Amino acid sequence: MFLNTNSKKNRGAQSRLNSYLLILTGLLSVILVSGNAYADGKIPRLANGKPDFSGIWQTTSAADSDLEPHSNRQDAPPSAGVVEGNVIPYLPQALQQKQKNFEARATDDPKVKGYTLGVPRGIYYPEPFQIFERAEDINIVHQFGHSVRTIHTNNTDHPLDPNDWWLGDSRGHWEGDTLVVDVKDFNDKTWLDSAGNYHSDALHVVERWKYLDANTVEYKATIDDAKVFSKPWTISVLLYRHREKNFQLIEDYRYTLDYDQYYPPKPDQK
Amino acid sequence: MNNAKLNRRALFSALIMSLIWGNAMAVNAADTTTGQQQQQAPTQQAQQRPAGGIGYEKVFPKIESGKWTGPRLADGQPDISGHWSNTIANHNNFEDPQGGVPGVYRKTPLGPREERAPSRVSDPADGHVPFQPWALAKVKEFQANFSDPVKPEYVEPLARCAPAGIPKSLYWHGYEIAQYPGYVVFFFNSGTRIIHLDGKPHLPDNIKLWNGDSRGHWEGNTLVVDVTNQNGKALFGREGDFISENGHIVEKYIFDKGGKRYNYEAVFTDPTVYTRPFTVTIPARRWTLEDDKPNGWHFEVEKANYKGDKPIIDREERICAENNGGFGLGAAGK
Repeated sequence: MFLNTNSKKNRGAQSRLNSYLLILTGLLSVILVSGNAYADGKIPRLANGKPDFSGIWQTTSAADSDLEPHSNRQDAPPSAGVVEGNVIPYLPQALQQKQKNFEARATDDPKVKGYTLGVPRGIYYPEPFQIFERAEDINIVHQFGHSVRTIHTNNTDHPLDPNDWWLGDSRGHWEGDTLVVDVKDFNDKTWLDSAGNYHSDALHVVERWKYLDANTVEYKATIDDAKVFSKPWTISVLLYRHREKNFQLIEDYRYTLDYDQYYPPKPDQK
Repeated sequence: MNNAKLNRRALFSALIMSLIWGNAMAVNAADTTTGQQQQQAPTQQAQQRPAGGIGYEKVFPKIESGKWTGPRLADGQPDISGHWSNTIANHNNFEDPQGGVPGVYRKTPLGPREERAPSRVSDPADGHVPFQPWALAKVKEFQANFSDPVKPEYVEPLARCAPAGIPKSLYWHGYEIAQYPGYVVFFFNSGTRIIHLDGKPHLPDNIKLWNGDSRGHWEGNTLVVDVTNQNGKALFGREGDFISENGHIVEKYIFDKGGKRYNYEAVFTDPTVYTRPFTVTIPARRWTLEDDKPNGWHFEVEKANYKGDKPIIDREERICAENNGGFGLGAAGK
């Protein structure tokens, strides 16, 4: 044992040391008991040090019911909205289209047909999605429609000869611990929410994904579309990690419900 | 209490705490590392390649289950990630893969059966799915109506953008196998299968899925997967073979030494459709940019927009959208 002395002079120093040791062990036990004591202190990381967003995520926000602030409706809870500045800056003609969409939302919303939700709607839709991350890419599997979006994090750029994709083309890079994703080359077949907010094939989205703690991600998306909006605008939601025991995605195909009752064959009724 | 005792007690706790802390660090280090790709096995001599179009192997090597001696991922899984595709034909005909859709007119008649690739049914030896009589009658009815499907049940569901399901996904277009701690994921052209490796229980039985619910584990070179919760709706292909929502499948993906090929050997059980369990065998091989060109069926990739030395490939989005009216609306011109 160190400080192995009984001299009166050192008794004070020794008891201070004892106190420090006890405080230290107390601190260590608090950190261990907190449950998420990752080596660097906070968030999961890949072997290359980048934040690892792998897991199953879902927002609790009402963003999908209507991105803008709104009172309650038959088909939506009230919400203060998730748009910075509250108002989506539509071009005048586009605003008319939005209002037409809104009136017809019960039939015209692409989600009714089970179409893929698109970007960024799939992120704040009220169904979970699973992130599978490795160094070269991040694959997002959405439970709704079982759509798969690949975010390439391997220093590749958008294709020079792109198509118009449902989920666009996603290329990501790291700024510190923030994943910044540039998404473009979209078709115009998805909506941005259930209230008729929409886009054209000129849609361009810049996402920012950042851990707030090991089980919470802040997701921001800046949306611009010169055919629909007068300037870019930004939304922000929080994503929470699903931690229920044995939680898993369950494939949710809607468009097959129109016809799947005809398969497989069944024995004829007697 | 005296200082010496307090001193020892404090030190003892500090020692214990640092041991626990050290263990926690080690465990968390293991948790946070993921599937970093290790060095690939050296490229082997290219085998006979189809010149574009769909593969047409007539024989394929048997691969024995056994030890895995190839590269491993950080979590211990054999590293078999990459692009794969089956080597024999497509979903035209399950029992005679190179024989074309049954009952459909052929310009050139088929030669003797032995000249073509074997049935995907490897057991029983006659190569036929051991259907109960009512089920076989339904299969024949599907075949008779395939060319002119006047009822919805005669339309092959892939044509309606339904997921290809099991086992059809394996002989539909090529696919990517990706591995992560606790998961093997198959990104198919039509549908996605997430194989859980952590031993969590299956979903409750009344949930029925196009790609079922999969629980897997590695035994040496073999990925063993237990599949339940199937809905049976995908069918096996254009000849109308099927399993029902009461079916249970145990799959083995047996990888060869070089990690260039695997054979799928799976036992299909369904007491409401078959007279006995039977075995399905499907060969597959790996596709790489080093050995192969992008191909519209087996290797649907493109070179990425990338300024580095080694080319990188992108796999394109796979989203199929039918003319989503109610059934028949498209045909009725509504």
